[in-house]
Amino acid sequence: MIPENIILSENKKELTLQYSATNSIMSAEYLRVNSPSAEVKGHSLAQKKTVSGKKSVSINSIELVGNYAIKLLFDDGHSTGIYTWQYLHELFKGKDKIWKEYISELRIKGLNRE
Amino acid sequence: MTDIKTLALEKLSALNLGYPELIEDIVVANKKIYLSIKTDKSKIDKFVRIKLQIEKELGEIDGINSVSVSLTSHSDSALPKADRKEFTSGVSEVKNIISVASGKGGVGKSTTSINLAIAINQLGFSVGLLDADVYGPSIPKLVGDKQKPKKSKAGKILPIQKYNISLMSIGFLIPEDSPMIWRGPMVISAVSQMLNDVEWGNLDYLIVDMPPGTGDVQLTMAQRVPMSGAVIVSTPQDLALIDAIKGMEMFKKVNVPILGMIENMSTFICPNCRNETHIFGFEGAKVEAKNQNIDFLGDIPLEIALRECSDKGTPIMLSKTDSIVSKKFLEIAKSVVGKVGDYSNSSKPNIIIN
Repeated sequence: MIPENIILSENKKELTLQYSATNSIMSAEYLRVNSPSAEVKGHSLAQKKTVSGKKSVSINSIELVGNYAIKLLFDDGHSTGIYTWQYLHELFKGKDKIWKEYISELRIKGLNRE
Repeated sequence: MTDIKTLALEKLSALNLGYPELIEDIVVANKKIYLSIKTDKSKIDKFVRIKLQIEKELGEIDGINSVSVSLTSHSDSALPKADRKEFTSGVSEVKNIISVASGKGGVGKSTTSINLAIAINQLGFSVGLLDADVYGPSIPKLVGDKQKPKKSKAGKILPIQKYNISLMSIGFLIPEDSPMIWRGPMVISAVSQMLNDVEWGNLDYLIVDMPPGTGDVQLTMAQRVPMSGAVIVSTPQDLALIDAIKGMEMFKKVNVPILGMIENMSTFICPNCRNETHIFGFEGAKVEAKNQNIDFLGDIPLEIALRECSDKGTPIMLSKTDSIVSKKFLEIAKSVVGKVGDYSNSSKPNIIIN
């Protein structure tokens, strides 16, 4: 579950997690809108927020948190999301479904990615 | 449910009050609508009016019992993060951090920590010891030293140098008899200070003597401090083992490798009749280590000399180098060092920023 390498692309908009056998690639936007931070997830279902307008967000830096997670610092100032190896794995595995749900949430609320 | 949500959104846009940009979220559950709106603090009166208006409008929807609108105000930059940042900057030159933990108190964790630290030092490594048990700091007593730490030119606290080990304990900073009546966050900040504001310098190993238990403090430390591994100390007694397993689970949760288990007070050999008595049970920790699929690092017998040396502040590793206990600690130190080497190569991902 622990990646061997964590690579940020040159344009800082794509994060690659290299495991021994596979690679997971996720966009900065996808990671940002699914931040595990309480600012986004809230403390209950009723508090969950839909983050919009992050199409051009990029990652400024990455910090290791203990041995179990990374903290991503985004260029919009968001820096409180701690992404555990487990959460990153789930985000990648459920990418298609989670993304689809996000897009429809945006539509329902009349928000957009721009 | 979705229908109600759509209906609610339609009603909101009909109100034409600058929505939907202001709506942070809307959830329908159990005949209730929850929504939050982003509020501009300077126009709070206006938002309170909007809130009432929304509650009235949406409350008229069929099948809805109540509407709960919360006003939120925040900005990303205003969130508290200063205290989290750089939690471990004082240990940036420390190569490996090893925590010594037990679920239960009174199993000899601090005695093990100091002797293990000295044993690793005797193998030729530079070693520090952080006494993170702020409620009952034992290290000053175990090394027989109560001097106050000095400050470096850079304003950082210099660790106490004793027996060739760099030491820090809250016991050096606060008088021995003053009780520690602290709430969790204070404990965490005291520990983070001892990591951050102490000039640990270039160490091969920093042993962290963890407070007993698996509460908030232990979890925070296990999460935030980049530990190379944890050593679990337990007596062979079932009662202690149950708590030791909890401790192991905690480390597993945050991906700190468990280097193995040490059985303390494993047996007692009567100095008069040489009869061996397993006061706390026979090989309990050894069996449990096997059950948990972790390595058994060694057993330390109950030995009157170990207790005497500890009380005198002259650890047995230094004062009775030929004793069985000292030899055992040296063996344990060798396996700990070996295992840290195995883990440290594999478990840390490289961060590559192009």
